[in-house]
Amino acid sequence: MLNQLSHPGAPATIFCNRGLLNSCPAGVASCPASSCPFRSPRSPRLTLRESVLLLGPRPTTDGMEFSELIRTGRAQAKLLRGPEAPPLRGTLCVTGHHLLLSPGPQATSDLWLLLLRRVDSIEKRVSGDSGTITLRCKDLRVLQLDIEGVEATLDIARSIEALSSLESVITSFPFFYRPKGLRLGDAWHFHPPERYYKRVARETNAWRLSEVNEDFSLCPSYPRAVIVPRAVDDDALARCARFRQGGRFPVLSYHHAPSGTVLLRSSQPLTGPQKRRCAEDEELLRAALAGARPGARGFILDTRSAQAAKQARVTGGGTEAKAAYPGWKRLHRPLERGWPLQESFVRLVEACGDLEQSMDRWLSQLEACHWLAHVKEALSTACLAAQGVGREGACVLVHGAEGTDSTLLVTSLAQLILDPSSRTMAGFQELVEREWIQAGHPFQLRCAHSAFSHARPKHEAPTFLLFLDCVWQLGRQFPLSLEFGEGLLLALFEHAYASPFGTFLCSSEKERCLCEVRTRTHSLWSGLNQPKEQRKLRNPLYVPSPLAIWPSVELQTLRLWQGLFLRWIRPPEPSEVAWEKVWQIVTDKKTEGCEPTVSASEPRL
Amino acid sequence: MCETQAFFPGTGICKELEDHALLLWLTQEGAESLNRSFHVLEYCRVSSMASAPTSKYNSHSLENESIKRTSRDGVNRDLSEAVPRLPGETRITDKEVIYICPFNGPIKGRVYITNYRLYLRSLETDSALILDVPLGVISRIEKMGGATSRGENSYGLDITCKDMRNLRFALKQEGHSRRDMFEILTRYAFPLAHSLPIFAFLNEEKFNVDGWTVYNPVEEYRRQGLPNHHWRITFINKCYELCDTYPALLVVPYRASDDDLRRVATFRSRNRIPVLSWIHPENKTVIVRCSQPLVGMSGKRNKDDEKYLDVIRETNRQISKLTIYDARPNVNAVANKATGGGYESDDAYHNAELFFLDIHNIHVMRESLKKVKDIVYPNVEESHWLSSLESTHWLEHIKLVLTGAIQVADKVSSGKSSVLVHCSDGWDRTAQLTSLAMLMLDSFYRSIEGFEILVQKEWISFGHKFASRIGHGDKNHADADRSPIFLQFIDCVWQMSKQFPTAFEFNERFLITILDHLYSCRFGTFLYNCESAREKQKVTERTISLWSLINSNKDKFKNPFYTKEINRVLYPVASMRHLELWVNYYIRWNPRIKQQQPNPVEQRYVELLALRDEYIQRLEELQLASSAKLSDPSTSPSGPSQMMPHVHTHF
Repeated sequence: MLNQLSHPGAPATIFCNRGLLNSCPAGVASCPASSCPFRSPRSPRLTLRESVLLLGPRPTTDGMEFSELIRTGRAQAKLLRGPEAPPLRGTLCVTGHHLLLSPGPQATSDLWLLLLRRVDSIEKRVSGDSGTITLRCKDLRVLQLDIEGVEATLDIARSIEALSSLESVITSFPFFYRPKGLRLGDAWHFHPPERYYKRVARETNAWRLSEVNEDFSLCPSYPRAVIVPRAVDDDALARCARFRQGGRFPVLSYHHAPSGTVLLRSSQPLTGPQKRRCAEDEELLRAALAGARPGARGFILDTRSAQAAKQARVTGGGTEAKAAYPGWKRLHRPLERGWPLQESFVRLVEACGDLEQSMDRWLSQLEACHWLAHVKEALSTACLAAQGVGREGACVLVHGAEGTDSTLLVTSLAQLILDPSSRTMAGFQELVEREWIQAGHPFQLRCAHSAFSHARPKHEAPTFLLFLDCVWQLGRQFPLSLEFGEGLLLALFEHAYASPFGTFLCSSEKERCLCEVRTRTHSLWSGLNQPKEQRKLRNPLYVPSPLAIWPSVELQTLRLWQGLFLRWIRPPEPSEVAWEKVWQIVTDKKTEGCEPTVSASEPRL
Repeated sequence: MCETQAFFPGTGICKELEDHALLLWLTQEGAESLNRSFHVLEYCRVSSMASAPTSKYNSHSLENESIKRTSRDGVNRDLSEAVPRLPGETRITDKEVIYICPFNGPIKGRVYITNYRLYLRSLETDSALILDVPLGVISRIEKMGGATSRGENSYGLDITCKDMRNLRFALKQEGHSRRDMFEILTRYAFPLAHSLPIFAFLNEEKFNVDGWTVYNPVEEYRRQGLPNHHWRITFINKCYELCDTYPALLVVPYRASDDDLRRVATFRSRNRIPVLSWIHPENKTVIVRCSQPLVGMSGKRNKDDEKYLDVIRETNRQISKLTIYDARPNVNAVANKATGGGYESDDAYHNAELFFLDIHNIHVMRESLKKVKDIVYPNVEESHWLSSLESTHWLEHIKLVLTGAIQVADKVSSGKSSVLVHCSDGWDRTAQLTSLAMLMLDSFYRSIEGFEILVQKEWISFGHKFASRIGHGDKNHADADRSPIFLQFIDCVWQMSKQFPTAFEFNERFLITILDHLYSCRFGTFLYNCESAREKQKVTERTISLWSLINSNKDKFKNPFYTKEINRVLYPVASMRHLELWVNYYIRWNPRIKQQQPNPVEQRYVELLALRDEYIQRLEELQLASSAKLSDPSTSPSGPSQMMPHVHTHF
């Protein structure tokens, strides 16, 4: 995989750079003008969460030394990596961001290292004069370290525990990761949503790019660029924002050119028990319909049950009243979110890893996890949204409560179904960037822990994983229609939970600006788009097709994503061999035929 | 290694694994684009229906049912087409009926009945539905409703098929309108009861390949390197006198005389003595098949049988024991003693180790499949799909069969021990185990022709009772002898092909075509119970082989990802986690499981096949060129010892 460390072999190096810590946010002047929002006249208001992001949970004056957390330098250890890989022996070191195993001078094998943030849970056991540490990683891998010395074991365990659970963003590894061959700042411009929004604005004449959220004051979870109906001015947007939870007023998510209709997303309206209304919000949705075509209808797809939507009024939320939004019809499609979804994920991973148990009950165990049922619900809701836009010629507004989870799941999947360009390598990356990262899916919170963590769950939910699983199901049902393969989906899963790249850091564009992610970390897209990665990520069978892909969403046609959930339980090697064989069959001829191959991953400018 | 194992215990049986996702591509093959509807939005069925690729009828294809629909442009190609007819097929009658489609409701149509098929064409303008069902598929015809039944479409016929579906036709209540249809269908679907010939004997199709020549036992044994100085080919069963359900030609230990064989035959159920199925090219370990020993309640022994097994053991000197796999559960093997059967006891067979493989009998399998049908047709069990599937135990049976076959293959290949396989009569579970083990061990059987030879050899010639298990042309639908043993074998093959997407030359359509013609009675291949009966009926002279159809149109059945690998042993993972229901077969009639997109999969596969062929050709040219350069024979890289990679397996 990607080289995670630019300076291997330095045990217990302290990566912390005090200067960086001190420079922001106090040192506003040092922020590059291009990325820092704090040059605007309005002064920054840092929430508690935001300061934790920057400085970590413990307020210190001079930052924090990783050395405080590293209790031992090194120990002799043996590493077991699963049933297939041979065990590794060598010297184990804990550094600020990594666990290293150096096989010793005479051994031929390379240095083994693990990003500490990838550790989801840690279990230690000592017996006699040695100990065992079991590391369960966020990518669902389970590792076992047999360590000489009880003290060393405990020290290493404590160090890993402390270092893997640091909350501070700017002391995380992406800020220190400097791989060879990549330049800082590269690829951050690969998939800016503005480009898409500008195109829509140009093509439709009914939509415009607004700078109303330039300083993130209107909606902290939206990016700077938002696209709204041309007929609605910025002041109206401000009032809309106050009427929607978290300020997430309805914005365009996707413009379906063949029918002229659009997919919108927002958060719930704050109708409250008094059933408040907001004229600007109503006007915005009216303008969206009018912009599509005269007399167009709309569907509001609420990802909560009708009852849950009603109950939300008690806490100030609610849903659009029928009378207030003529032309719009409300549909409820409850999708699981939050803790129940996380629990489903945890149970599934447990079931997959439960190798002791008799397999006779596997299918009912699988059913009891409900994961596939969630996949089915997500896909069929996305189909419904896509059907509204693509077949009914209607506009569709999707929202749940906050509009940062199941909403994005539905809008992004609907685009994959409808839009052939989002099924290309570049298009899919653009989709993830626009509909997940920029749209404010709180990755930092949702992916703080994976399925193994014993920590008290706070905001974790595998919504993004559910999205990837749905995409995988689409790819399975339409083997020729996606330009990317399982490899890309696996990479996104891994990097969303722990990554040397900055792409999935933080929970919103505002936070990323605050942490200067764009200037101080590398973009995952630049890592993935390196030529040497391509064979692993691309689908050799891809043939572009201009049509929509309507999947079957019956449980009978959905499968457990074995490549992910059983990835470490079976050896990955032969699958790569098979993949390679197919690549050979497909490509050896192509290059021969002197066919000019257009790389879809190149940014279209 | 052992530490690793302790840490990750029980991680599946085998080490050879393939990526599942990749495999899954293969299932998409032939996916017809049919409608998926999402119900809430008002949505017009016909207008948005994608047109299915209409498979035009030709004499080489069999489409049991193709639901074709008018596309948006309103072109309906099928109405102008004549009813398809094979050479030798004669039309009997036609009638206007209402086909009660379980997925789309009643459809008015005209049904045409010939001596081979039931063909229905919709008479409604917005539907181009066509049913094309060979009469051989029919297992039962029932009248539903009576002349006085009330309710719409309550009077008619309900036809149960052997391929996981039912067909219901409603007719007009006046004038006993269903009587002649019922009688004609009964007559031609169950010709045996009416002293009529099975259609295969009337079929006059011509193919440019003769499928009957595919399997020549002498050639096949020669390919395996037989006879050699331990094994000889015997013609003792030339007139089927030794064993009437065995083929004429048998391979037996060199040191066993014909008299020995006759004496052994008296101690084996139905005289099915242990004979060779397959020999390992390097170890010279063998797979031997037979029926159970006639031990009985008194625990009889037979010195000749004991000696015979010892002779088999001695043909291979690497290991001191012969391994016997009894396919049955232990209790069933014990229970068989009551009817004179039994198993090889330790004290009688000192040099043998006996293992039971826990595979259940034909009745259990039949009931299990019945339960599968209950949950998939006409309506798929929605709410608790996975636990309902589990409660059918179908996949569990598949797992046990595969696990058994893996053990046989592993014993022969890695364990370097000869293996004897039997169940009760040695024609059901035994055939499953030996043929699957051979498929795992010998890459030759993974080619199209190789697989045909495997079926022809281990199933057809060794007397799997196709006539009894399938009930060709027989009206006794409740016959206790019927059982989906062969279907289960094909399912196992499909599971393997999913796990090893590049290892098989054939595709899913090949397997489905074999299953369709298992019932269709269009070919003679699967008719009768054993070789002697087939010879008596002159099946090879009077009927056509299914392999003629397949081999004259091979491209349709090829897997574009096939990469030939000599002597690679495949060990599939027989864990429930890695097995799945063969949806494209068992639920194929339900349009809801199909995805909708005029998917160019087939076209793409054809392109890939062409690419692959060119690629292979170029490779061969390069090899020729380089071998011309390297004319020195001593530097030739591929000695025979390098041909068989050593594969570790752990159980």
